Amino acid sequence: MKKMMKTAALSAAFAAGVALALPASAQEDSIYIPNLSYRTGPFAATGTPLMNGQRDYITLLNERDGGLNGVKLTYDECETGYNTEKGVECYERTKENAVVTQPWSTGITLQVLPKSNVDEIPILAPGYGFSPMADGKVFQWAFNPPSSYWDGASMILKHISDGDLSNLNGKKIALLHLDHPYGKEPIPLLEALAEEHGFTLLPIPVGLTEMQNQSAQWLQIRRERPDFVLMWGWGAMNAGAVTEAAKTRYPMEQFIGIWWSGHDGDLKLIGEEGKGYRSISWSVPVPDSQLVQDIRQYVVEPGKSLIENESELDSVFYQRGLMISAMLVEAIRAAQEEFDTQAPDATQVRWGLENLKMDEARLEELGATGMLVPFETSCANHTGHGGAWMLEWDGEKFVKVSDLITPDREAIEPLEDKEAQAYAEANAPWPVNEECEM
Amino acid sequence: MLYRTAGQFKTSYAADHALFPVRQDAILLGVVLVFAFVILPLTASEFAFRALLIPVLIYALAALGLNILTGYAGQLSLGTGAFMGVGAYACYKLITLFPEMNIVVAIALSGFFSAGVGALFGLPSLRIKGFYLAIATLAAQFFLVWLFQKWAWLYNYSASGAIHVPNITMFGITVAGPRAAAITQYYFVLAIVCIVTFFAINITRGRIGRMWKAVRDMDIAAELVGINLMRAKLTAFFVSSYIVGVSGALFVFLWRGAAEANLFDIPLSFRVLFIAIIGGLGSILGNYLGAILIVALPVIISAVPAMLGLPLASATVEHLNVMIIGVLIITFLIVEPHGLARFWAVIREKLILWPFPH
Repeated sequence: MKKMMKTAALSAAFAAGVALALPASAQEDSIYIPNLSYRTGPFAATGTPLMNGQRDYITLLNERDGGLNGVKLTYDECETGYNTEKGVECYERTKENAVVTQPWSTGITLQVLPKSNVDEIPILAPGYGFSPMADGKVFQWAFNPPSSYWDGASMILKHISDGDLSNLNGKKIALLHLDHPYGKEPIPLLEALAEEHGFTLLPIPVGLTEMQNQSAQWLQIRRERPDFVLMWGWGAMNAGAVTEAAKTRYPMEQFIGIWWSGHDGDLKLIGEEGKGYRSISWSVPVPDSQLVQDIRQYVVEPGKSLIENESELDSVFYQRGLMISAMLVEAIRAAQEEFDTQAPDATQVRWGLENLKMDEARLEELGATGMLVPFETSCANHTGHGGAWMLEWDGEKFVKVSDLITPDREAIEPLEDKEAQAYAEANAPWPVNEECEM
Repeated sequence: MLYRTAGQFKTSYAADHALFPVRQDAILLGVVLVFAFVILPLTASEFAFRALLIPVLIYALAALGLNILTGYAGQLSLGTGAFMGVGAYACYKLITLFPEMNIVVAIALSGFFSAGVGALFGLPSLRIKGFYLAIATLAAQFFLVWLFQKWAWLYNYSASGAIHVPNITMFGITVAGPRAAAITQYYFVLAIVCIVTFFAINITRGRIGRMWKAVRDMDIAAELVGINLMRAKLTAFFVSSYIVGVSGALFVFLWRGAAEANLFDIPLSFRVLFIAIIGGLGSILGNYLGAILIVALPVIISAVPAMLGLPLASATVEHLNVMIIGVLIITFLIVEPHGLARFWAVIREKLILWPFPH
């Protein structure tokens, strides 16, 4: 009995000690970059290559250049499984030394966003999150370069209407979306555009529990015969949708996904049958670029990467992961130069993200020519609105089939302003960046 | 040894029916309360508040609500998550419609919305029992989550369909919203949880609680001795949903800060049900033990490799975590099928008899 009591007391003391002590702190001569990753759960298939890409880019800098201007970058993952509850836990766990938060889910972004003004850590949500975050005056600490979901919706419509949205008059467009804040993001803009240009919008939600079995949704699509199906899908939902589309023989030429619905692994399931499926994307895989060769040489060959086979290296998502880390590192570099410091803090990195300049010359220096849309952020514009390209599945891989498409900003901006103001009002007192005069 | 009851004489019926017939129980509770109110707030970091202490309290409260229905009144429910959602959305609407309202009042009122909905979905319990009733509450679960998604008025027509907690002050201190300090929120949650627990203990050991237990053990016999089944079952649904609703409001307002409808889906119901079952059905203490096991332990385990300096990938830690928790749950259920509370009861009994084995 006594022994048992002792063990119990000891284990309780140990548990309390672990619980109350803070997670290991980063050293001073490194920059701590946490990432709220998901390599487990229903979204692991799409999350893993992205996280691998992000991780490998940082590893490359540490291996090839000895870090960034002589400072090591400490990349640290905290597993969320795409679960918002875990996400917030990870945010709390990593925020002490973090110079940035990468929440990796619209749900987690929405949770962390209100805290950003208080904790003063910038949120980097490339190509996801809340579209009105583009308004940098209101959302001082949030960044979603190079394109927001509303930009994406606008660009897809522009592409399918051959540049003139009035061509869509009388057409019917279905939006197959995940029933989650992420999937609902484009609806307000699409509704506004539908009213303006006279097409019918048909939102078809896919619940988190029915991602793999979308027969009901595709039955509805067969019945309604929409002219186009747009997809805001993620994880297991993408694979489910493309297999259902192939099974019901829905013409792939009329089926277009957002950038998160353009994962090689999903389309490989149907191979030839998926020919013609398009996905808009602000990053393009360039397998023979200098950057990818360096990754091969410094990261993959010494066995420092987590990728499972080399073909993953050429996939859209892996290379997008590389580009996401590249954006972040460039922001840190900008902060280092501006503030003349080795290890910039979160406020300084925020400045870097606000003055991020990823033009073609810079991309070439990074060895990433043509891998990312060129863009530039400012204090008023936290997205950059770089535009995107259309990728098409040719049966084996995604290929670029369009020139750079740019969003119709005039149609989006009023809505962005309205939503940003509404958000700031609902969360009052919400500090607005008044120094910014753009 | 520690629990020697020799010398503690009861000289009146009132003393015999007191909350703590054994003095050591009261002392132990005092120690726990001192820990909760003084020692932990002094030592805990913000991470410990937000990832361990606050969620454990809120989940324990939700499990307490469910335990009243399932453990005390014997009515199986799978709709806890949705009832928490009713509390959360009701509180959100109250706060946004009447910004002047005190948050304590709003939370207390939102419990009534949940209680009303709970009693409504409890009506089938008058005709059906056991698993069939579970299916009926499952219908509540699906219907309510669907309603949270489709009824845009509930989330004030926000584009993302999510609700956000504004900054709410009470007597000049921010208690909810992004600007609230973790320690304030902890004390706020702790105070509410303590008050509700106090009432729950006294309801369950009083006349109403005995009525519920009679219905749970054999409803026909209960009816024969004159217990009104309808009233017993509906009060159980009402009280249970009230507590669950309050915990739902706390869940969003004092912890999460934002929520979307999916949050209140079935996984949440199951999580709360697991806490109640592993903690021990028909006990109050069990909810806290269960919440510590299900909510806090994974967080602690995932911090261990980093503390010991083991270079494990975060995804691997997560996999290990799921395995360890799974094994622990199975072990506890094999060792003591009636839950952790019963486990503690056995230990306590042995301590009272010590050094004699029987």
